[in-house]
Amino acid sequence: MPQENIISVSDLTKYYGNLLAVDQISFEVKNQELFGFLGPNGAGKTTTINMLTGITKPTSGKASIAGYDITKEPIKAKGLIGVVPDVSGVYDEMTALGNIDFSAKLHSVPKEKRKARAKELLELFNLYERRNDRVGTFSRGMKKRLMIATTLVYEPKIIFLDEPTTGLDVQSSRQIRDLIKEMNKDGTTFFLTTHYIEEADQLCQRIAIINKGKLITVDTPERLKKMVQTENMIEISFNNTADFSEKLKDLNPVKNVVRVADKFRLYVTDLSETLPLIVDFANHNQLKVTSIVTLKPTLEDAFVSLTSVRPEVMANEARDA
Amino acid sequence: MAKTFMPNVKKIVYIAEKDVKIYFFKGPNLTFGLLLPVVLYLAFAIGRTVDPTNAVPGLVAVAAFFGAGAIQAISLPLERRTGTFNSLVTAPISLFTIMLGKALAGFFFGIVLSFTYTIIMIPFGPLPNLPLLIMGILVSSFMFSTFGLLLSAPFRDIPQAMPPATVVRIAMVFVGGVFTPLTMLPTALQTIAYALPLTYSVSALRQAWNGNINLQMYLVDSAVQIVFAIIFLVAATKILKRTIE
Repeated sequence: MPQENIISVSDLTKYYGNLLAVDQISFEVKNQELFGFLGPNGAGKTTTINMLTGITKPTSGKASIAGYDITKEPIKAKGLIGVVPDVSGVYDEMTALGNIDFSAKLHSVPKEKRKARAKELLELFNLYERRNDRVGTFSRGMKKRLMIATTLVYEPKIIFLDEPTTGLDVQSSRQIRDLIKEMNKDGTTFFLTTHYIEEADQLCQRIAIINKGKLITVDTPERLKKMVQTENMIEISFNNTADFSEKLKDLNPVKNVVRVADKFRLYVTDLSETLPLIVDFANHNQLKVTSIVTLKPTLEDAFVSLTSVRPEVMANEARDA
Repeated sequence: MAKTFMPNVKKIVYIAEKDVKIYFFKGPNLTFGLLLPVVLYLAFAIGRTVDPTNAVPGLVAVAAFFGAGAIQAISLPLERRTGTFNSLVTAPISLFTIMLGKALAGFFFGIVLSFTYTIIMIPFGPLPNLPLLIMGILVSSFMFSTFGLLLSAPFRDIPQAMPPATVVRIAMVFVGGVFTPLTMLPTALQTIAYALPLTYSVSALRQAWNGNINLQMYLVDSAVQIVFAIIFLVAATKILKRTIE
């Protein structure tokens, strides 16, 4: 079963009036896969999730969850999925326990299991002490954790996570990422949208890149990186923080130098030729090399190359979300 | 069939229970549901000779009308704005099940307010026929709850949903012969009144307070209200479906 497709999307299109939000996208998600959907704001990520989860109807095209057509058999399809939205999906006026209990009831979880599972999840997410408090008094991180708990209580086969760590502190983000990895190991399929390129790289087995409603590519993070023909890069720092960019540019194999904080990123034609020249350069200028690393293309490089969207733009969008 | 229907009945109750817990004591709910009927009644009654056999059933009907609809003007638009409505939509239940759950919450609120006003008004009028009163309040509250859903279905926020719903309801109170018998209204208004759901609720409740009960008329009034409720519920579901698509 693991290699079977559990989500199949074919020519899925969504118009809002005259605005084309999603343009004939097609892809598959394998059973037990951790699949990432990466793109800037307005790329069509949330619209795609909304179509796959029955929140909105596709204008045209087909999509199925475990073989159930999302428009023809929506209730069967929805019986297999859990959705953790970007914005709040929990009731501020209810308690944490009340929210979990309500979600479990809607998904027909038996009473005994409901109680035990709610306790287990509240403890897992460090919310047990606050279980009888109104959710309106919770922080954003606590609400996000509760949203995930309200989904996990009915143990869905596939979980759609829309921006799971946006706006969260480092500790909460790490906790959620660890949990996603753990659950994926145990067999849950994840469909994850994110602004964070690094997060997608760390978590996802395959990534779809979407921009302006169009699906640009679907591949593994490593293959996406290999698709990018970037130059060789060396990142170097010296014991002196003065700007040596211009001098470094004079070295023969160096095509360009970019200063990144206290380091210099050198774009070179040949690595083996450059390294001894850097040592000579340091000796000549009475400098000590404090660090030197060769850099491979990152997923960020691949993303920039494929979408022409700068990573800073993505980071700003994630911060503003 | 029974197997699939039963869990849905439970889920309708769960949704209603959740709505009652969350929205019962919300400010706009209490203002529109509890205070507006009495304000309208006083606006009509002060300075006039009021026949309690006509006015009390009107007040009870208006309480059901505003009470059952008030919760709908809050719960549906607010849930759509905050995003919690999506949690309902992504659950393995139909949109119609969600709407029935919401209708049940309004139904409950309408019943509570109607009986509250009935008890308050007992010293000011004759005693009603209890079975007809109970039946009348149940049918009216359900119909008005579905009407509230219809009025709020196109909107995504409370400030958008409240004004049109309030204007429509207040206009209906004045045209629907609530505190005066229909026969006392001009012919043109009488014709309009027969197209309004409130008219049939008031008519049925008047039967409950009337010494000479016309059972046939009562049953016709109740049947018309049930037909209205079905139409409102189906139309509200369709409108909502269209707006979320």
